[in-house]
Amino acid sequence: MDQKTAEDGPIPYDTAQTARPAIAPQRAKGKAYLAVKRRGDKSVIRDLAMAGSAKLLFPRGAGPMLDAVFLNSAGGVTGGDDFSLSASVDDGASLRLSTQAAERIYRAPPDSAPGRIDTRLTAGQGAALHWLPQETILFDGAALDRRLRIEMAADARVIACETLIFGRAAMGESVHDLRLSDRIDLIRDGRLVLADRLRLVGNAAAQLGRLTGGALAVASVAVAAPGVAAMLDALRAQLPATAGASALDDGLIFVRLVAEDGYVLRQSLVPLLRLLAQDDLPRPWML
Amino acid sequence: MTIPTATARMTRRMITAMTTDPHLTLHQLFSPAFPVGAFAWSHGLETAIQEGTVHDAATLRVWLETVLSHGAGWSDAVLCAQAATGRDSAELSELASALTPSKERRAETMEQGRAFAATVRAVWGADVPDAAYPVAVGCALRALDLPVADGLRLILQAFAANLTSAGVRLVPLGQTDGQRITLALAPLCAALAERALTADLDEIGGFAPLIDVASMRHETLYSRIFRS
Repeated sequence: MDQKTAEDGPIPYDTAQTARPAIAPQRAKGKAYLAVKRRGDKSVIRDLAMAGSAKLLFPRGAGPMLDAVFLNSAGGVTGGDDFSLSASVDDGASLRLSTQAAERIYRAPPDSAPGRIDTRLTAGQGAALHWLPQETILFDGAALDRRLRIEMAADARVIACETLIFGRAAMGESVHDLRLSDRIDLIRDGRLVLADRLRLVGNAAAQLGRLTGGALAVASVAVAAPGVAAMLDALRAQLPATAGASALDDGLIFVRLVAEDGYVLRQSLVPLLRLLAQDDLPRPWML
Repeated sequence: MTIPTATARMTRRMITAMTTDPHLTLHQLFSPAFPVGAFAWSHGLETAIQEGTVHDAATLRVWLETVLSHGAGWSDAVLCAQAATGRDSAELSELASALTPSKERRAETMEQGRAFAATVRAVWGADVPDAAYPVAVGCALRALDLPVADGLRLILQAFAANLTSAGVRLVPLGQTDGQRITLALAPLCAALAERALTADLDEIGGFAPLIDVASMRHETLYSRIFRS
C-alpha cells in the first residue's frame, strides 16, 4: 500500500493485523521505591518515591506486616515499557507486597524491545518479606523481560511467588507468538542460592503440549528462612500431582506448580501460600 | 618451592606428549567409564517412567529433547562454553548450582563435577577446580587445550546417552532402541553446541517445569534405583 493512500483513505481497523504505526507509540514507564523500618512492634514506611505509571498503595491492615500494593496505572505492559520496583526492608521490619490486579502483558510490535519489569527487594537481619504478586497473563504476541532479584540476610524470612498464565483459556485465546524471559535471583548472605531462568520463545501454544502437557499456568515459589526445610512434608501434602517441592538446603525450599489454567492453579497455590505465610493472602487476591 | 612445581610441569608435559590426539582425550573424558558416577543419576527420568509419562522409545526421545533444548542440556552447554573461555569458575559454579531446581539435581551436578575435576587433576595434573559438572568440564577443555566445539557436542551427547541408558534399564527398552535414540538426538546436540559457543550467560534458561517437578517428586518415590 502506498503511503499517500494510507494517509488519505480510511485505515483498516484491525490493528492486530496491520503494520506497526509510523510513529513510535508512547511507552509506559514507572518507578517505585519503598523502604520499611521497624518502629516498636510495627513496621512503617521509612522512605517512599513513585514516578510515572508505578504506584504503591497502603491499605490499612490488621496484621503485623506493613502491607503495600503495587499498581501499574498504565493498565498492562507492552513492548518497550519499563517498570521498576525496589523495596528495602530494614533489620527486624516486615513487608508484604502484592499487586492490585493480574498483570497483563499485551502484544508487542515484533521489532520492539520487550517490556521490562525489574523488581529488586532486600531483607535485612531478622526481616520478613513476602512478595505475592497476582498472576501475570501473557497475551498473544507478548514480549517480556522480567527480573526479580532478592537479597536477604541469612536470618531473614522470605516468600516469593511468580505466576505465569499463557493466554486466557476461557476466552479461547492462545499464545502463538511469545518472547519470554523471566528470572528470579535469590541472594542469601551474599551468595546466589537460587537462579530460576524461564525462557520461552516462539509459538508457545505449540510447545506447551510437550513442555507442560498442555497446561497453561505455571507458578514458582521460593521460601527462605532458617530451618524452613522442616516444613517440606506439610507443604508437599498440599500439592497436586503436577507440582513438586524440594529443600535445596536447610533454609530454602523451591516449589514449581503446573496447572491446567489460572483458576485450577489458585486451588493449590492459595492454600500453599496461606500455609507458608501462616496468614490470609493480601486483600487484592480475594477481590 | 620451585622444584616440585617444575617437576609437575615436566610430568604434565610428558603425559600430554603421550596422548597428543585431542579427540582421544575427549573420548576418554566423556566415556561412561570415566569415574564420575553418571550411571547413578536419572535427572528425574525415574519419576517420569514410574508415573507413566515416559513409557516407550518415542516418549523417552521427547523427554530427552525437552531436557536438552529447554532444560539443563542447553544451560549446561552455555556454562561449559563460558568456563572454557576462562571465565571465573567459582562464579560460574555458584550459578550452575543455583540453577538447579531440586536437591537431587543440585547433588547430581555438584558431585559429578567434583569427581570429574579430581580425576582430571590426578591423571593429567591439570589445574581444574572443584565445580559443578559443566563448569569443571569447561575448565578441563581449557586446561588440556581441547577443541571446545567438539567438547560441547560431546557433553550434550554424553548427557543424553547416559539418560537414555537409564531409560533403557527402567522402561525397559532394547539396547538397539537406546542407540537409535542417541543417534536421533545427535543433530540436536550439534545445533545446541554451536549456539552455546557464542551465547552469553543471559541466554541461559529454558522452560521445562514438568522435568523440574519430576526431579522434585523423585525424592519421595516409594522405590527408586537412581539418586535423582
